[in-house]
Amino acid sequence: MGTRRSGILFIKEAKEMLLNNIREFGMYIVLFVIIIIFTITTKGAFISSRNISNLLNQGGYIAVLAVGMTLVIIIRHIDLSVGYLSGFLGAVAAIAMVSWHLPVYIAIPLVLLFGAIAGLAPGFLVAKMGIPAFVATLAGWLGYRGALQLATMRTGTIIIPNAAFNAISNGYIPDIPGISILPGVHKLTLILGVLVILLFIINSIKDRRKTQSYNFKVLPVEMFILKLVFVSVVVGCIAWVLSGYRGLSWTAVIILGVILIYNFIMTQTFLGRHIYAVGGNPEAAELSGISVKKITYVVFSSMGMLAGLSGIMFASRLQSATTTAGQLFELDAIAAAFVGGASATGGVGKVTGSIIGAFVMMSLTNGMNLMGIDISYQYIVRAAVLAGAVIFDVATRNRKK
Amino acid sequence: MIEATPIVEMRNIKKNFGGVRALCGVDLVLKRNEVLGLVGDNAAGKSTLMKILSGAYIPDGGEIFIEGKKTHIASPSDARRIGIEMVYQDLALADNLDVAANVFLGREAASKKLGPISVMDKHYMEQETKRLLDRLKIDISSVRSIVERLSGGQRQAIAIVRATAFNNKVTIMDEPTAALSVAAIRKVIDLINELKAQGNSIIIISHRLEDIYEVSDRMIVLRQGRKVRECPVIGKLDEFREQVVAYIIGARDDFAERGVD
Ligand SMILES: Nc1ncnc2c1ncn2[C@@H]1O[C@H](COP(=O)(O)OP(=O)(O)OP(=O)(O)O)[C@@H](O)[C@H]1O
Ligand SMILES: [Mg+2]
Repeated sequence: MGTRRSGILFIKEAKEMLLNNIREFGMYIVLFVIIIIFTITTKGAFISSRNISNLLNQGGYIAVLAVGMTLVIIIRHIDLSVGYLSGFLGAVAAIAMVSWHLPVYIAIPLVLLFGAIAGLAPGFLVAKMGIPAFVATLAGWLGYRGALQLATMRTGTIIIPNAAFNAISNGYIPDIPGISILPGVHKLTLILGVLVILLFIINSIKDRRKTQSYNFKVLPVEMFILKLVFVSVVVGCIAWVLSGYRGLSWTAVIILGVILIYNFIMTQTFLGRHIYAVGGNPEAAELSGISVKKITYVVFSSMGMLAGLSGIMFASRLQSATTTAGQLFELDAIAAAFVGGASATGGVGKVTGSIIGAFVMMSLTNGMNLMGIDISYQYIVRAAVLAGAVIFDVATRNRKK
Repeated sequence: MIEATPIVEMRNIKKNFGGVRALCGVDLVLKRNEVLGLVGDNAAGKSTLMKILSGAYIPDGGEIFIEGKKTHIASPSDARRIGIEMVYQDLALADNLDVAANVFLGREAASKKLGPISVMDKHYMEQETKRLLDRLKIDISSVRSIVERLSGGQRQAIAIVRATAFNNKVTIMDEPTAALSVAAIRKVIDLINELKAQGNSIIIISHRLEDIYEVSDRMIVLRQGRKVRECPVIGKLDEFREQVVAYIIGARDDFAERGVD
């Protein structure tokens, strides 16, 4: 009797948790289904270590944009300028190294700084002048497109001869030398994977203890263990797949860094809390002494900085700056943010979600390319997924009301 | 007779919105630890007057004295700093955040500072929110509930908790009983009495005269941006209501010679 009742309780709580996080779970399920489908249709080519590794390197520059875009969407705006800004800043990075002869460790921070400053412009137009972000950043889209063409006009494509710079999107972290077990497997990647799992488990248990000590409700222990096992298996699988090719790429390291920093800011700091508050109810935020203007500047500036990072990653990927760099990046980033659970009404969205959203979109492109599907159909499929995500968002939102 | 300095005194407050004269020279006195009712027809200027006191609007003219000292209130933060809090008519809650986040909105507790980045002490804020809810005997299952999903009464309670969480002196409530069930209204009225017992000075705006009658010590009637009546709340409810309605609709006016242009 008792066990039966606790069984019913468990199911009820599991159901409640599922319903409360349906958007997040929905996304994981979609990603999972996509992976399975492509793995089958490509006879395993999709899930091969080499392909997954490539997929990460190809999609990194969209993933970092998606993170910034999610913040912009949280505060109820949009940024259309980031694609060509990214392309332009990639060209600036190339010029900085090739023409100005700046070392790479100066060129990169400089470009990131330029990006952060460039982001202040739409911030100013939106926060100070009250111009809709759509229009303000459309002007940026045109302007940066012109700037990119100007920057590459004399030389055409600018070849970047710097090995360190080109390693950003093509290189991998070194392995520990002198270990003979598991040949062909990247040991350091595996070790890092295990470390991440251990850290996650220790932190989760610590947090659970602390929450309990304050007499707050925690997940039922079965759910808690399920969550630990699930995350560990996922992280383990990723580490295992990546270690089968050349290990963790520098791009993956950058993506992880961006996730860690932005997730920390959004969930743990005053700034993140205020960004969500401004998105949820700008008037209320203002009345609570939060400066909506300041938050708008910060968010657009961070978007600009990430556009710089994205531009660097893309230029590194191609080992050159091209005239068309950054084309349509903004739309991919916006799509990734919405697929990743950001809501057009503002106030809702997660850093982790936007990364998952980016990987959903990247996997679609990559998988359909492997299958040899014509590009026209690819656009239609991606359109369907984006529309599905937004419809799902609206549907789950209304149900809660 | 020597009267103690009032906690709030507003003198000759004026405010225009474009061509609309929302307030044309209103005086208001709030004594220490009293509940002052503020009534009037729609668009009489009640919310505007109170938003000036809470720093949301800047007056075009007039002076404000807090505990006898002339004070400039230029922003909601200024008002907060001197202990004035307002529960807005639309509650001004961030619906996407949870209860604890709303209570501490703009006043988050820090666990540490990393340069310009302040890290929140979430456990402290949640614990403290729980304590505050208990103090005012408010029934909300979890401080982690997203505010969007709570009932109207619960949302009202959260807005009141937020206003009174930081040992404020003056609490302004703009129609705290509008759109609530009878039971929820009861709770809000109990809450106001509880706050008064804890030493708060309160201004309450309401169209429900029985609520004003029940909680207020004194009352002010505004009409078309002017004060038309100021009196203690005494007598029977029916007489009180009849009399106040006469002032609200403009049939009577105690200050007719003043403020007319
Ligand atoms: N932000 C604003 N911009 C323009 N006009 C305003 C603004 N706020 C108030 N007003 C005008 O000032 C007048 C007084 O409005 P106020 O909101 O103070 O009335 P109220 O007494 O609170 O009414 P209610 O009982 O309907 O809440 C109205 O004519 C209103 O239209
Ligand atoms: Mg009002």
